[in-house]
Amino acid sequence: MGFEKFLFYVLAATLIAAAGMVVTRRNPVHAVLFLVVAFFSSAMLWMLLEAEFLAISLVLVYVGAVLVLFLFVIMMLDVDIATLKAQFIRHLPLALVVGVIMLVEIFLVVGPGNFGGESFPNPAPQGPDYNNTRELGLLLYSSYLYPFEIAAVILLVAIVAAIRLTLRHRPDTKYLDPSKQVYVRKGPDRVQLIRVPPEPRRVPPTATPTSGVEDEA
Amino acid sequence: MTFDYAHLLPIVPEIAVLVLASILLLVDLWLKDEDKGTNHLIAVFGLLVVIGLTGVVGGGEREIVLSGSYIRDPMSDVLKIAVLVVSLLSFVYSRDYLRDRGLWVGEFYVLTLCAVLGMMVMISANSFLTLYLGLELLALSLYALVAFERDNPSGAEAAMKYFVLGALGSGLLLYGLSMLYGASGSLELGAVARAVAWQGADNQVLVFGLVFVVIGIGFKFGAVPFHMWVPDTYQGAPNPVVLFLGSAPKIAAFALAFRLLVDGLGQLHADWQGMLVILSVISLAVGNIVAIAQTNIKRMLAYSTISHVGFIFLGLLAGTTEGFAAAMFYAIVYALMAAGGFGLLVMMSRQGHEVERLEDLKGLNERDSWQAAMMALVMFSMAGVPPTVGFMAKLLVLDAVISIGLWWLALIAVFFSVIGAFYYLRVVKIIYFDKPEVIEPLVVGSGARVALSVTGLAILLLGLFPAALLTYCQAAFA
Amino acid sequence: MLDNYLPILIFMIIGLLVGGGAMVAGFVLGERRPDHQKNSPYECGFEAFETARLKFDVRYYLVAILFIIFDLEIAFLFPWAVALDGLGMVGFLAMVIFLAILVVGFVYEWKKGALEWE
Repeated sequence: MGFEKFLFYVLAATLIAAAGMVVTRRNPVHAVLFLVVAFFSSAMLWMLLEAEFLAISLVLVYVGAVLVLFLFVIMMLDVDIATLKAQFIRHLPLALVVGVIMLVEIFLVVGPGNFGGESFPNPAPQGPDYNNTRELGLLLYSSYLYPFEIAAVILLVAIVAAIRLTLRHRPDTKYLDPSKQVYVRKGPDRVQLIRVPPEPRRVPPTATPTSGVEDEA
Repeated sequence: MTFDYAHLLPIVPEIAVLVLASILLLVDLWLKDEDKGTNHLIAVFGLLVVIGLTGVVGGGEREIVLSGSYIRDPMSDVLKIAVLVVSLLSFVYSRDYLRDRGLWVGEFYVLTLCAVLGMMVMISANSFLTLYLGLELLALSLYALVAFERDNPSGAEAAMKYFVLGALGSGLLLYGLSMLYGASGSLELGAVARAVAWQGADNQVLVFGLVFVVIGIGFKFGAVPFHMWVPDTYQGAPNPVVLFLGSAPKIAAFALAFRLLVDGLGQLHADWQGMLVILSVISLAVGNIVAIAQTNIKRMLAYSTISHVGFIFLGLLAGTTEGFAAAMFYAIVYALMAAGGFGLLVMMSRQGHEVERLEDLKGLNERDSWQAAMMALVMFSMAGVPPTVGFMAKLLVLDAVISIGLWWLALIAVFFSVIGAFYYLRVVKIIYFDKPEVIEPLVVGSGARVALSVTGLAILLLGLFPAALLTYCQAAFA
Repeated sequence: MLDNYLPILIFMIIGLLVGGGAMVAGFVLGERRPDHQKNSPYECGFEAFETARLKFDVRYYLVAILFIIFDLEIAFLFPWAVALDGLGMVGFLAMVIFLAILVVGFVYEWKKGALEWE
């Protein structure tokens, strides 16, 4: 138990430090990279809770996909760092007040009085062949079938909305279509070399001295 | 685990809406630009079929299916049909507008139908999870719809504001729900209610969770002080989207509030009553007073929405079956009135000219007396002038509030309604007594004219015979 | 419980050693004689015109978001595949419907040309 506790504190400290860096870094790209660290640490914390599948999907989905999108968006926006910093300082007092209130609330709610070890004892440890992913699947596709299908509809809405809002065709762009390229046949489609008989050289009627030299050469 | 396929019967309307949206999405891909009217026909007839299906499947005792995540009860039947009818009206109103501006694409119908599906899921939700997923489905579709006119920068700005504040509201709601889950140990509303009854308000976590849930509900309704997104979103979004956004989601928001506060946390009524009193009083005050200063009619109607939300909260906080029935009646009636009001704005907008200033309504009577009469009727109804239905709705809510002894609250509500009547009647004055700036008559399609007449007739008839709708609302909570 | 992760820990340590070792070896063994010209940014012989941070085309964003959507779909497939033998026909049909809804979206994006780069 001792080592697990040690691991927990190390991961929790990393998580909080990384989260602090996310909001204080001036360069948004650095902030996103610290967010990666934060997600990794929380994935490890979940691993400590024996929620292996969720931990891995956190890394796969958030670190693998969502943060890549974040990076794209940040690079698309061309953020002006100086104004960002000014805004940050201006709103800092209010943000601190809200943050402190939230912190006090969390301590009041999640303190040992409400969620301590007495009211929520540890579940019995599972054997080594216990499969967390399988248990999740058994529950998700039977009891939570209806929410699962609604999730599919939400993804559908995301597809439609993203395409509607950002897709613009640009008919003026010039590009090669490989599937048409392979259909090119010998004959009319290809570039042909045509042998043109050379025309007899015409001597210009009045040749300037310089051009006359070149002609002879 | 065995699965009973008969349990799928109650969700047939939801399945039908999803199938309809998928068909529209696919059919639109193969339609030529001149045939886009087919989308409209499919959507309208599809919604008619879904309304029929909801009626057929509905009725009878409440059933909870799909492992406790879905509930069908008399309330959900009435609310679903109301949402579907209002959405159908909004499709009919916006037909010409969409056609004239090249917005007549399948995506508009698909996103709207997905929003309708989200509302239906919310109305029939029996667990925190389904409730939240339905809410997100609705919200995502609406964010995209607000930015639908993608070359319009004000639409993008409105969508951005709506998205950021909407996400904040969802986040707070989710935070509260997670606390409630932690305290009660269940996501299902029935089990939550049992756990709350057992623990009561002694449990600090429940009370904290309740605060966040009420804030989340306030955001979604647009109640003061969580109303900042409402005027900006209404102003920036295209008119047909405002028509949809301002009407049907209020019915779904009522369902959200009812499911969470009454079905789940009914035992904490004493706690949330006080919060709703504060929200409704400041909503009534800010909504009615700030609306007077508006020159943009969309912003004016946005503030009017905020004041009407105050009335819906008044009915809810009464905590009696009478109060719930009154709030439900009010939400449905408000959606109908809002559909009529925004529908008129959509109909008056023509290519290259968006009707949004109050001056645009000047002398409407000389240009089209039928539309002028309908606009006046909607305004009278929103102001609560008898014999329109708006008066009945306000009367029922006030009656419910007085019957629990909060007569001072009823007095405040009446006071602000009288202030509010000023700006509604000012619109009527502009329509009838001001000289028009342009004299050309308005061209309105026959479909929109029929829909408008139906709305006007409903406002009058329900005002004279409120029992036609009220009995269903009362039966839902009997 | 942590015993089960010992092979993974060993794997990670070897991975770090191989990856980090190459860098350290290059740092220690390589010959470096930096001067001002070598350290200055190089752009075809000119002074640099602008920062290296350029605006990305919005099309990258579309591709990325479509990728995320299907990535999420795959995240749902893993537990389903592991638990399929215990789920029976209902679980199978649930996934068929889930995939059918997303296939509708896929047909839409394909036909719209969202997967074309132009």
